Amino acid sequence: MPLKSKIEELQKRKEEVLQGGGEQAIAKQAAMGKLTARERVIALLDEDSFHEYDLFVEHEARDFGMDGKILHGDGVIIGTGTIYSAPVAIFAQDFTVAGGSLGLMHARKITKIMDYALRMRIPLIGINDSGGARIQEGVNSLAGYGEIFWRNTLSSGIIPQISVILGPCAGGAVYSPALTDYVFVVDKISKMFITGPEVIKSVLGEEISQDDLGGARVHAEITGNAHFYAESEIECFEQIKKLITFIPWNNSRKARRFEPKEPKPEYNIEKIVPNDPKQPYDVRDVIKALADDSDFFEIHEKWAANIVIGFGRLNGETVGFVANQPLVMAGVLDVDSSDKAARFIRYCDAFNIPLCTLVDLPGYLPGIDQEHAGVIRHGAKILYAYSEASVPKLTVILRKAYGGGYIAMSSRHLRADFVFAWPGAEIAVMGPEGAANIIFRKEIMEAKDPDKIRLQKVEEYKEKFANPYVAAARGYIDSVIEPKETRKLLLHGLEVSSTKIADRPTKKHGIPPF
Amino acid sequence: MALNRLDNKQLTAFIPGTIIDVKVKVGQQVKQGEILVILDAMKMHNRILSPINTTVKEVNVKTGDRVAKGFVMVVLD
Repeated sequence: MPLKSKIEELQKRKEEVLQGGGEQAIAKQAAMGKLTARERVIALLDEDSFHEYDLFVEHEARDFGMDGKILHGDGVIIGTGTIYSAPVAIFAQDFTVAGGSLGLMHARKITKIMDYALRMRIPLIGINDSGGARIQEGVNSLAGYGEIFWRNTLSSGIIPQISVILGPCAGGAVYSPALTDYVFVVDKISKMFITGPEVIKSVLGEEISQDDLGGARVHAEITGNAHFYAESEIECFEQIKKLITFIPWNNSRKARRFEPKEPKPEYNIEKIVPNDPKQPYDVRDVIKALADDSDFFEIHEKWAANIVIGFGRLNGETVGFVANQPLVMAGVLDVDSSDKAARFIRYCDAFNIPLCTLVDLPGYLPGIDQEHAGVIRHGAKILYAYSEASVPKLTVILRKAYGGGYIAMSSRHLRADFVFAWPGAEIAVMGPEGAANIIFRKEIMEAKDPDKIRLQKVEEYKEKFANPYVAAARGYIDSVIEPKETRKLLLHGLEVSSTKIADRPTKKHGIPPF
Repeated sequence: MALNRLDNKQLTAFIPGTIIDVKVKVGQQVKQGEILVILDAMKMHNRILSPINTTVKEVNVKTGDRVAKGFVMVVLD
């Protein structure tokens, strides 16, 4: 055969495979408001940067009429490309081919690109759109999932792993996204659950729609399984691209440095936090008053909103912000907010991202439901994560820092590198009301007018202890600073801690209270 | 449906506290993010906000009331 014909044959074969599941299936995908797998990859990556591998992979299943059935690419696309010039490895399940079901070769393609990503130390992005295990391939499908989960765990903390849920992701399939660093969901398109509505109905008799059970908002607002929520696939891709700009390619590098920019003047740090500690405010405004260009990229925006986490930059360098949110539930720590912050702190630590913690909280949320939900075990995760983190840790106490909350929020005692406090900071073992009632119980009870004495004692305690100077006197905080000095000191803190070495005893790994 | 916690129309106290301000009346139209009630609890004047654009169906509190945890303060339509 002359070379020209051989090339023509290659082109013909390619064309055939690139049709995916064919016109009808593609029309069906569009009718569901979804892009096809290939359209998604092309929309997400830099123009002309995508290179696909394993185009001609075929399944070998023989049973249940699979013999002779052609499944192009075995229902998944794999390849490499770039996002803002950063290299990424990617797989995208193709729902138009056998519902994106996962068989042996489908899984092998995914694990191949996962191995590649780990070997090259580049981020891995997985676009999930699959009906689940390919039943006809039996235990080979299960083996495929297991191989994926094992690699997710192996790669964890070495390369960033991003999961995008753009269709159904049910049963065992949900565990790969759950093992990765970030999960992106899109309204009306994403569906995640272990057992779907039909099983729930037949076993429990409860009726619920797919969306109400495991739709995008459920995971973005109630379960916390999803980190980012978008109204459309295109918005979702913009979020992924933005995330990529904030994180390094792997755990031996730093995130890309950007040109430093001053915060925008509309965020005036002296006017955001009210003097009265009982008045709430949006702590995200404080972050924006500190971060370069007032650019704050929030993670888990709608879940456990009593704590705020996300990325910003200080002097061009990516920083992970953790801040109590007085606007929601007074900014208390509870089961969900502890889980949310702890995982983020560990992410930043794994990927060389310094932590900046803004403190203003009344403490842990009291209550029977919290205690019985295991707030001890969950709350301990924050302590563990901060103590373990060896990246530069900068803390600013804005107002309240009481009790266990003070210790938990990146205190000196958990080895924060710099702890600053604003003049209005209240650092004490508990709030003035509670403390005065205990310390002066006898005096108050024996007084002619207990209420008057109680108020007097509360004031006395407030004056003596609800300030930053008791902690400053012991060196627990490094400086009491004016709000307007905060950015300057954070920048300096980062500058002098860029060569930080935090010695830790050698161990296989710790045992955090998962 | 009780199973679905999204767009909750019954606004409950997340912790026991004292109502220090009631900003809305029954039948009043409210916007998403508008303050309905202020609850003094956990050392904070907590703003209870409307999660959606709607009208107020029930107001079960008045200024000065002590409310228990889980008490339904406002019901939206």
